[in-house]
Amino acid sequence: MKTQRKMKGSFYVRLALNNLRKNAKAYLPYLLTCFGTIAMFYNMCFLMLTRDIGPLSNSVSLRQILMFGAVIIGIFSAIFLLYTNSFLVKRRQKEFGLFNILGMEKRHVARIMALETLFTSAVSLVIGILTGILLSKLMLLLLFKILSANITFGFEIPGGAIRNTLCLFGIIFGLTLIYNIAQVYRAKPVELLRGGLVGEKEPRTKWVLAVIGILCLGAGYYLALTTEAPLAALGIFFLAVLLVMIGTYCLFAAGSIAVLKLLRRNKQFYYQSRHFIPVSGMIYRMKQNAIGLANICILSSAVIVVLSTTVSLYVGMEDVLRTRYPRNVIVNATDVSDRQAAALDTLIAEQAQLHDMTPQDVIRHRYRIFLTNQDGTEFVGDRDQYYAGQSMAMLVFMTRADYLAMGYQSVTLGPGEALLYVSRGHIPGEVVRFGAAGGDAGGAGGAAGTHGDAGYTLSIRERLNSFETVGQLTAMLAGSYYFIVNNDQTLTEIHNALFGKGAAMAERSYYYGFDVAAAPEAQISLVSALNTKLKEYGASQGVSGLYAEGAESERASFYTLYGGLFFIGLFLGLLFIMGTVLIIYYKQVAEGYDDKERYEIMQKVGMSRAEVRKVIRSQVLAVFFLPLITAAIHVAFAFKLITRLLVVFNLTNVPLFAACTGLTVLLFAVLYIFVYALTAKTYYQIVSQVRG
Amino acid sequence: MPLLEVSDLQKIYTSRFGANQVQALSSVSFQVERGEYVAIMGESGSGKTTLLNILAALDQPTRGEVQLNGKNLRSIKEKELAAFRRDNLGFVFQDFNLLDTFSVQDNILLPLVLAGKAYNEMNARLQPIARKLAISDIQAKYPYEISGGQKQRTAIARALITKPQLILADEPTGALDSRATAELLRLFREINDEGQTILMVTHSITAASHAKRVLFIKDGAVYHQLYRASMSTAAMYQKISDTLTLIATGGARK
Repeated sequence: MKTQRKMKGSFYVRLALNNLRKNAKAYLPYLLTCFGTIAMFYNMCFLMLTRDIGPLSNSVSLRQILMFGAVIIGIFSAIFLLYTNSFLVKRRQKEFGLFNILGMEKRHVARIMALETLFTSAVSLVIGILTGILLSKLMLLLLFKILSANITFGFEIPGGAIRNTLCLFGIIFGLTLIYNIAQVYRAKPVELLRGGLVGEKEPRTKWVLAVIGILCLGAGYYLALTTEAPLAALGIFFLAVLLVMIGTYCLFAAGSIAVLKLLRRNKQFYYQSRHFIPVSGMIYRMKQNAIGLANICILSSAVIVVLSTTVSLYVGMEDVLRTRYPRNVIVNATDVSDRQAAALDTLIAEQAQLHDMTPQDVIRHRYRIFLTNQDGTEFVGDRDQYYAGQSMAMLVFMTRADYLAMGYQSVTLGPGEALLYVSRGHIPGEVVRFGAAGGDAGGAGGAAGTHGDAGYTLSIRERLNSFETVGQLTAMLAGSYYFIVNNDQTLTEIHNALFGKGAAMAERSYYYGFDVAAAPEAQISLVSALNTKLKEYGASQGVSGLYAEGAESERASFYTLYGGLFFIGLFLGLLFIMGTVLIIYYKQVAEGYDDKERYEIMQKVGMSRAEVRKVIRSQVLAVFFLPLITAAIHVAFAFKLITRLLVVFNLTNVPLFAACTGLTVLLFAVLYIFVYALTAKTYYQIVSQVRG
Repeated sequence: MPLLEVSDLQKIYTSRFGANQVQALSSVSFQVERGEYVAIMGESGSGKTTLLNILAALDQPTRGEVQLNGKNLRSIKEKELAAFRRDNLGFVFQDFNLLDTFSVQDNILLPLVLAGKAYNEMNARLQPIARKLAISDIQAKYPYEISGGQKQRTAIARALITKPQLILADEPTGALDSRATAELLRLFREINDEGQTILMVTHSITAASHAKRVLFIKDGAVYHQLYRASMSTAAMYQKISDTLTLIATGGARK
């Protein structure tokens, strides 16, 4: 009795193993994806937890970035694996039906299914984690290389990483198990046997969906093209992405069928051997594959966007650093008098001399900053300091005298006239108005230079193309504008217009930046020495807000942020590419089986093999390059919005981003074609298999 | 000159490593005149399908020749075969072989589209055939929406629309119920009466009893043939039945 049961058990095991072997062609890509995603997820967890990151100065924020990466990879792994699994199980319906008819009950089939899922899961977890462990050192090297950090040696397998991986993929595989068993129970034997052969209805044209698709896509594109303000860009980017995604799904699902049916209605066009079979075939193909193709399209767009942005951020990091720190060493003081400013000059010169350094390319600003809320050309001050994140704008004011002191060419400015430099943001107009919150914002009449309750109006005489900006302002996610006005009198009037006459105007701020030719370590020690002295001086004068900063001191944290993002970008790019390849492969296989019979019939009614091959090629090409082309169009429309978005990250180098995007699109297209060619081969093999 | 001349056909299938040889046809010879309606009968495995495949130029004989209208099928180049088949032969299959992505009308028009005809000409040819086959009102429907009989009539329309020299039918009644079978056989006779040559391979005595001549194949060779002449369908049915019994019980006559 016992041996009999044992034999029965091993029978199921053998059957399950046999099934897997028989379906190897379909299962291999799935298993490879399992290995890949598990190894990737393990590595993210490993990097997040490894001791080697400890010594890095910004280990906490780096770990946060890596955790963010791990979460995203986890989510997408789950989506890919569940999708692929559902595809695999659907293809095997016929097999289940056969088992049923051969006398197995559903619970027996379910048992085989469960065993199969267990085998694949166990194999995936073991091989995936082993691969992950083998690659982990390499990943660490890569990460440190990207971060330009020193490499520590050691080998480590964090238990937490293995635990996380086992947990996540245990849950994913558990879900696939439940899904597979549910599939077995839900199916009816006769239907199972017939499998995919049940009469496929012609899809209906869903005009509503097509129109929604066009509207969403149009709205998304419109948003992407018309957004000027970088600050708004972040929110709008997600809205636009959402709209474009909805639009893509709707258009692939409904729009494609609508177009094809219109083509079919044109008899002269449709009844040509070149169009006849592709058009009618595509109508059916789109019904089954629209979602898959839309997925490919969206994944492709994601790969291109993620890679191009993170690569350009990383490559443009020096640019970014220079924008944030226009000089190697920067001293900043708020609310200081001219006398105190002169004292600071002496202090800085002393310290530089002490460190054997000569300041070069000195920039000095005397300026005032007013925080306001911006609404187009209206700037509103608020004494209660309430500023909304989206509309917040920092206005930097300088007098003509301060401007000339910086060494710029002489200009003549009348009262109510200004030069403008836009560091970040957009002012749509050449006349700006300043007013107080709660005051009468309307009725702005009056000539330039007027003031009073209606506010103060300033006309822009000239927009400057470049300006020595105040570096630290670029780190804030707010609009920043530089105004140069004729004298302090005008400035006071603007201040009063913004904050009312009662509010006292603070002294000007002082910004002193210079380059030094010295090793990074020396620069760092100069900055810290300056900070000590500034603190002492500030205390003696009763002024706070004196500090020094330097590019070298902050470089490491920049590398952590941008390098970390770049690293995750690479990982995500790889993951998305894996997902794309997977979906393409399974689409090809599925279509191959569907089309096999059709091409047999066509050959019988008088089509030559060469003609069949030509038809297959044109149809498959159209279907598979549609997503790539659509993705390229999406990226083209997103380009401007992304450049605005990158401004928030201080990357203003548009040619660099354009080059990165172009290169990414090109490389991706090459990869796509390569993958397509490989899988198309499988398709031809399936289609041309001789039956019987 | 006969329309179809089959002389001394032999077909030997060799398994992949040449270990087993199976002789599907040993020596088949017969002729079909223009306007004839010939049924080929035989048990499963007698070589009927192989013969049909060779006649359709889908397969090559090991030995022997097939001439259609005086043209040797062997002499046709691989490239031209599809066009030759399309222009000269019409096919009717047991499982209809309609494409589910096409409407009834488009299924019928498929061979003409492949031949590159203009739409107006196609439509002009389609309408009379559709009327004759009583499928005019289902032209816009799809194969999964119509009955088996309607599917087979669609397939016949597709075979007729190229005005072929010869219609090859492979078990055309195999998937039909008795009413649809009767309807189909009536149609075949009608088409034949209008001068269309038909060669039909079948299992069914009912189907064969409508033909003008029945060839019996056994073990890869023509074993016997019956002419209908002035016989009624019922008498023909009896004759065929007797012959089949004789073949099955191993009668020695040729």
